Amino acid sequence: MVENLNYYFLLAGMLIALSVLASRVSARLGTPLLLLFLGLGMLAGEDGVLGIQFDDASTAYLIGNLALALILLDGGLRTRLSTFRAGLRPALCLATFGVFITSGLVGLLAMWLFDLTLIEGLLVGAIVGSTDAAAVFSLLGGQSVHLNERVGATLEIESGTNDPMAIFLTITLAEILTGQLTGVAAGVVSFLLQFGVGAGMGLAGGWLISRLMRYLDLAPGLYSLLALALGLSLFATTNEMGGSGFLAIYLCGLMIGNHPGRHLEHILPVHDGLAHLSQIVLFLMLGLLVSPSTMLHFALPAAALSFALILVVRPLAVIICLKPFFRFRWRELWFISWVGLRGAVPIVLAIFPVITGVENAAVYFNVAFFVVIISLLVQGSSLAPMARRLKVIVPPGAQPSRRNLLGIMPVNDYEMLVYRVDNTALEGVALRMLRFPSGAKVGALFRSKVLIHPKGSTCLHQQDVLCVVGRSCDVPSLNRMFNGESLQHEQRAFFGTFTLEGGASMQDIADVYGLTLSQGEQQLTIGEFITRRVGGVPVVGDDVDWHGIHWVVNEVAGNRITKVGLRLH
Amino acid sequence: MTLDQILPPERTLYGVPGGSKKRVLEFFSTFIAQNIPSLDSQEVFSRLIGRERLGSTGIGHGVAVPHARSPHCKTPIAAFLKLGDPIDFDAIDGEPIDLLFVLLVPEEADDTHLTLLGQVAELLNSPTNRSALRQADSQRALYDVLTSAIAELPAR
Repeated sequence: MVENLNYYFLLAGMLIALSVLASRVSARLGTPLLLLFLGLGMLAGEDGVLGIQFDDASTAYLIGNLALALILLDGGLRTRLSTFRAGLRPALCLATFGVFITSGLVGLLAMWLFDLTLIEGLLVGAIVGSTDAAAVFSLLGGQSVHLNERVGATLEIESGTNDPMAIFLTITLAEILTGQLTGVAAGVVSFLLQFGVGAGMGLAGGWLISRLMRYLDLAPGLYSLLALALGLSLFATTNEMGGSGFLAIYLCGLMIGNHPGRHLEHILPVHDGLAHLSQIVLFLMLGLLVSPSTMLHFALPAAALSFALILVVRPLAVIICLKPFFRFRWRELWFISWVGLRGAVPIVLAIFPVITGVENAAVYFNVAFFVVIISLLVQGSSLAPMARRLKVIVPPGAQPSRRNLLGIMPVNDYEMLVYRVDNTALEGVALRMLRFPSGAKVGALFRSKVLIHPKGSTCLHQQDVLCVVGRSCDVPSLNRMFNGESLQHEQRAFFGTFTLEGGASMQDIADVYGLTLSQGEQQLTIGEFITRRVGGVPVVGDDVDWHGIHWVVNEVAGNRITKVGLRLH
Repeated sequence: MTLDQILPPERTLYGVPGGSKKRVLEFFSTFIAQNIPSLDSQEVFSRLIGRERLGSTGIGHGVAVPHARSPHCKTPIAAFLKLGDPIDFDAIDGEPIDLLFVLLVPEEADDTHLTLLGQVAELLNSPTNRSALRQADSQRALYDVLTSAIAELPAR
């Protein structure tokens, strides 16, 4: 072993380095990144070029658990609590009942396709039952698709919270198959323990860790290490107590990520990288584990199962969970159905039956392999075009190309915001003529990479780079100021040229445009009218077609609509 | 119905005194009541101000499109005003405005109203048109720019 040490290091290093480099290729080609890792693993694997024999299920399971915990921690860190307004309830519905329905239907189908018993079939369903947070967001983020908040938040929270459910179902079913679990009562107790302890430990632990982080003054690099270490400890403790460690670590990340402070700036990029590494490792490992020669045997029925999952089961589960209770529009439902991406979780879960010694373990593994690969190929590569087709995107406005906290205040800190001038309307305008928000100042101006001392009389030119010092509350008005022309054009085409106040009364609007109101509409404001039409939780980009005009929600404050665009035809 | 049919040269005004949103709308109401005797300046003014209360018609880039329906209006009426000095109009981007396209339509002309508004929006959303209008240095030049820009609008 020792004499081979360098060989292993070299191999691991090269594989990971290749995978990272492959992400550049993937970004250019638009193919899902994860498939490339998988391909690399298979190339290195037993039927590939390097011929590496790797079939140690318990090592694989160990790595899988660790990787999954890290991915969920990062998912929690990146989920903004503010998105809960629009997405929490539908997402929780999907994460619980949705997983049940998906697992059940896939299970029945698998039973028939692979000639399994009911419990065995259901185990297949449970393994592929949850959607993948990291896969969804690396795909959407990579293609700069700006989803409307309701759809985005639902998908994000669903994918973060549905893994514990799938994990619970898988473990329970595997235990039934191996005879470790008997009786319904034991199952119910285990369910309550998993979710109760998981949620309790996650929230309490996360709260403590986030307080500790803010209190401590550490070297920048150590914050992420501490978050990782405490997160993993929490994960392990919760698991030992019989709770769902995965739920706990996700909630822990959520608590840390939503507790403002300087430390977050150091934690987020590192964990982003760790989540990436975890995905790379997971998919490389999967590539190494499969033996292409034996899996061909499962190809046809597994492909049939995958397409049934994508085209029938997932849409059905989404519609059953969301349509009766929430006011989603059909095109939003179709999109949510389409983003039922399967990723890392089924891979880890498919190793579980192998560990516990369930019979026919090869079936689960190979089926999971096909489901993941087909889901990534079919759904993953078509997310962005699908989002555009189904009109669930909102045109993005200008964003600062770089933001950095300055560390002046512990909370509500000043930031350096970098903008590039890309708007002919700003050409030749003196800095003092810009309508800056009162708290913000121009700190520096770069023209052709030369630093210019900004004075009130300095005139802006195209492609100038401005460093503005301000707070996060100044960002929206700065964004508006530096909005490029093409972005403005897109926004106007989407929101319409004219804008009404959300508080304008329907009666007055009807008078101005000669529209007829029906009973009960006279007393409403336009904001209330649209809020009712969209089911109580309006998000930017919602539109209502009324009297030949599209009324598009342009700005919201909490659940109140403050600006409505009028799109004529 | 196209914009050039409802915008004669005498309703294209150059170098209109600014002051405030209210002053400019008052100026326009008085002007249009003199130009078309059937209209009442007070009534036009209160209708235009009423529309502004629902949300400013300042559509950004220094342009405003005040519009209203009027019972005394027999046929759609348009007017174009270029201000001497830009004024604050609570526009969507917060920029002061110097170009105003005012539109008055009869009570019964609902569809025409929206179609005309759409055309005005298209006309003034074009950066080329806006800068040409700003460069015009006389009433005549302003009208010429307007008519040629209207003629270039895609046919509906």
